[in-house]
Amino acid sequence: MEQGWLHLIPLLPLCGAVICGLLGKKLPRHWLFTVALGVIFLSFLLGVTAFRMLPDSGSARFLHETVYQWFAAGSLNVTLGLTLDRLSGSLVLVITGVGFLIHLYSAGYMEHDASVHRYFAYLNLFVAAMLLLVLGDNLVAMFVGWEGVGLCSYLLIGFWFEDDAKASAGKKAFITNRVGDFGFLIGMFVLFQAVGSVQISDLNAAVYTLPVASLACGLLFLGATGKSAQLPLYIWLPDAMAGPTPVSALIHAATMVTAGVYMIARLSPIFVQAPGILMLVAIVGGVTALWSALIATSQNDIKKVLAYSTVSQLGYMFLGVGVGAFFAGTEHLLTHAFFKACLFLGSGAVIHGLAGEQDMRKMGGLKKYMPHTALTFFVATIAISGIVPISGFFSKDEVLGQALRTSAFSFLTLTPTSSIHLSFVGPALYVMGTFTALLTSFYMWRCYFMTFEGSYRGPAEVHPHESPAVMTVPLYVLAFLSIVGGVLALPENLAEHLHLSRFSWEVFTEGLFAKARGGEAHHYLPEVVTYGIALAIGWLGWFGAQAYKKGVEGPAFWTKLPAGMHRALENKLYVDEFYGFLIIRPLWAFARGTWRIVDVMIIDGLFVNGAAQVVAFVGELARRFQNGDVQRYAAVTAAGVAFLVYVFLR
Amino acid sequence: MVGPVHYLVLAAILFALGAAGVVLRRNALIILMSIELMLNAVNLTFLAFSRFPLVVRPAAALMTGHAAVFFVIAVAAAEAAVGLAIVIAAFRSRTSVNADEFDTLKL
Repeated sequence: MEQGWLHLIPLLPLCGAVICGLLGKKLPRHWLFTVALGVIFLSFLLGVTAFRMLPDSGSARFLHETVYQWFAAGSLNVTLGLTLDRLSGSLVLVITGVGFLIHLYSAGYMEHDASVHRYFAYLNLFVAAMLLLVLGDNLVAMFVGWEGVGLCSYLLIGFWFEDDAKASAGKKAFITNRVGDFGFLIGMFVLFQAVGSVQISDLNAAVYTLPVASLACGLLFLGATGKSAQLPLYIWLPDAMAGPTPVSALIHAATMVTAGVYMIARLSPIFVQAPGILMLVAIVGGVTALWSALIATSQNDIKKVLAYSTVSQLGYMFLGVGVGAFFAGTEHLLTHAFFKACLFLGSGAVIHGLAGEQDMRKMGGLKKYMPHTALTFFVATIAISGIVPISGFFSKDEVLGQALRTSAFSFLTLTPTSSIHLSFVGPALYVMGTFTALLTSFYMWRCYFMTFEGSYRGPAEVHPHESPAVMTVPLYVLAFLSIVGGVLALPENLAEHLHLSRFSWEVFTEGLFAKARGGEAHHYLPEVVTYGIALAIGWLGWFGAQAYKKGVEGPAFWTKLPAGMHRALENKLYVDEFYGFLIIRPLWAFARGTWRIVDVMIIDGLFVNGAAQVVAFVGELARRFQNGDVQRYAAVTAAGVAFLVYVFLR
Repeated sequence: MVGPVHYLVLAAILFALGAAGVVLRRNALIILMSIELMLNAVNLTFLAFSRFPLVVRPAAALMTGHAAVFFVIAVAAAEAAVGLAIVIAAFRSRTSVNADEFDTLKL
C-alpha cells in the first residue's frame, strides 16, 4: 500500500536533532527534553499506526512511500523510498520505543551534564539515521543510514572528548567501521553491476551466479562484521563503552550493532544463493559468540562485561541468520534489544548511584541500596542466561535448535549434483553455542552477584543510592518487555496451546525471508531434549557463579585454572595487542616511512624546495646579465654582432 | 694603389675604436665622441662602396651612397645636440658626467 506520510517517521527525529543542536543551548532545559523526547514519541506513535495498518494478507504485505527522486546518473536511478513491512516495522517500534525509554532515562542520567543539548541532538540524529537504515527501500538509502549511525556512534562514544582515551575510543570505532563500510560499498557496487538497480526489491528478485552472489554477500558480510562487531572487527565495541551508558544501551546494544543482522535478513534471497558465505556467517557468529563470552567471564568493569556479552549475543544472531533461519536471528535481535537495553541501563543506574564507579570489585550488596535497579537487572539477567523460560531463553534456543537442524550447509554450490556435504557444521555450531550459553549464564550471574549480592566493598565515602523515577520507570518497562518478549519465540506447540500463535515471530514473518537451500532438516535430537539441555546449562551457570555472592575470587574450579589463562582472559586474549603488532605498528612504520621519504624528501625537498632553488639559481646567473650597466649591454651586443658577422661572413 | 679594402680596413679600425670607447670609457662626453667616431666609420664605408661599386651601375645610382652619408651627418649633428644637452642637464643635477653614477633605475 502506498502511503504519503511514512517519511515523517525518520524526519521527526531529524527535526528534533536540528532543533536541539542549533537552539538547544538557548532553550530552557525542560523545553529541550520536551523536544528531544517528543519527536521520538511522535515517531513511535506513527510507527504504531503504520504497524496496525499493515495488511494481514495479500501479496503486498507492506506499506511503501516514494518520497522523491534522489538522483539519477546514467543507468543509476535512485529514488528515495521507504518500505515498512513486518520486519522493518518491528524494528521501527524497537528503535523508537526502546529509543524513547532510553531518551527518558537519559533525561535523568545526563541532567547535570553541561552539553546535554549536544547529547540529545546526537541521540535524535542517531534515531533518524537508524530509521532510515531500516526503512530505506534501496541499498543507497540504507548505506546513508548505515554511515549516519556510524557517525552518531563516533560522536557519542567521544561525547566527553576532553578525555583523550574516550576521544580515541570514538576514533577506533569509526576507523574499524570504515573497514567494514568499504566492504558494504563494494558489495553494493557488485550487486548494481549484476542487476542494474539498487532497489532492494529488484535485488531480492534477481537470480545470481554463484561467484557474483558469493562476492557480493562476502563483501556485505564484511560490512556487517564491522557494524555489528563480529570477528575480526569486534574490537571497537568494548572500547565504545567510553560513551555515556544510555548510548551504550541504545546504540551499542539494542539498535545500531544489529544493523548487520537486519541487512542480512533483509537481503536473505541473495544470501541463500551464496551458501558458502552463509556458512561463513554462521561460523563467524558462532566463534565470535564463544570468543567474547570467554573474555566476558574475566572482566571486572561492569560495562565491559555487558559489552563482550553484546558481542557474544550478536554472534548468536549471526549464527541464526547464517544457518538460514533468518527469523531466528531477527527474533533474537528483538528480544536481545529489550533485555540488553535493560542491563545496560541498570549498569548505568549502578554507575550513577556509585558516583562513577565501574569496577565490580568495588560494588556488592547493592540490592539493599537500589532495590528497583536490582530487581530489573535480575529479570534481564534471567532473560539472557536462560535459567527460566522467558524471552532470551526461547530466542537463543531457537537459534541453537536451528543450527542443530540446519541443512543449509549441505551444498557449497547451487547445484545439488556437485555438492560437498558439510552437514557436521550445524551440530558443531550447536555444541559451541551451547557451551557459550553456559559461559553466558556464568558470567551474567557473576556480574549480578558481584554487583548486587554479598556486602558492599566500595569506599565508605561513596553512598550508593537509588536513581530517580525517570530512570527506574524505563528499567521496569524494559524488564517487562524482556519477560513478554518471549512470546515472539514460543515453541510452536506451546504457542498454539496458549492461543498465541499469531504473535510468534516465525508465523508473523512467514514469507518475509527466503528459505535456505539444501535438503530436509536433520533431526538429531527432539526439541524437548534441546530445551532440557538449554535449561540445565542455564542453571549450571547460575550454580557455578554462586561463589561470587561471597567475594570476588570466584568458585574453586575457576580459580584452579592456570594463571596464564586468567591473565589472557583478563587482557582480552591480547587481540588488541595482536592487531597492534600485526596491523597498527606496520601501518605506523609505513606511514612514518612514507612521511620521511615521500613527503619530506621528495615532495618537500625535491619538488617544493627544489623548484624554488632552481629558480633562485637561474636568477642568480641571470641577474649578472641585467645589471643596469648600459655599457656592458653594449659590449655584449658588440661582441654578439662581431660573432654573427664572423659566422655569416666567414 | 689604394683599393676598397684599405678604406674598409680603416673604417673597421675606426668603428672598433669607437665601439671600444663607448664600452670602456665612463665619461659621457667621451662616449658621445666615440659614437661620432663609429658613425663616421660607417660614412667611410658608404663612400668606399660608392667609389668602388661591386656591380656596374649608372653614375646617378652611385650617388645614393653620398646621400646616405649626408643623412647620417645630419642625424649625427642632431644626436650630438640632444646628447650634449642631456649630458649638461645631468651634470647640473649630479655634478658629474661619469656614466656609472647614473644608476637611479637600478634596483
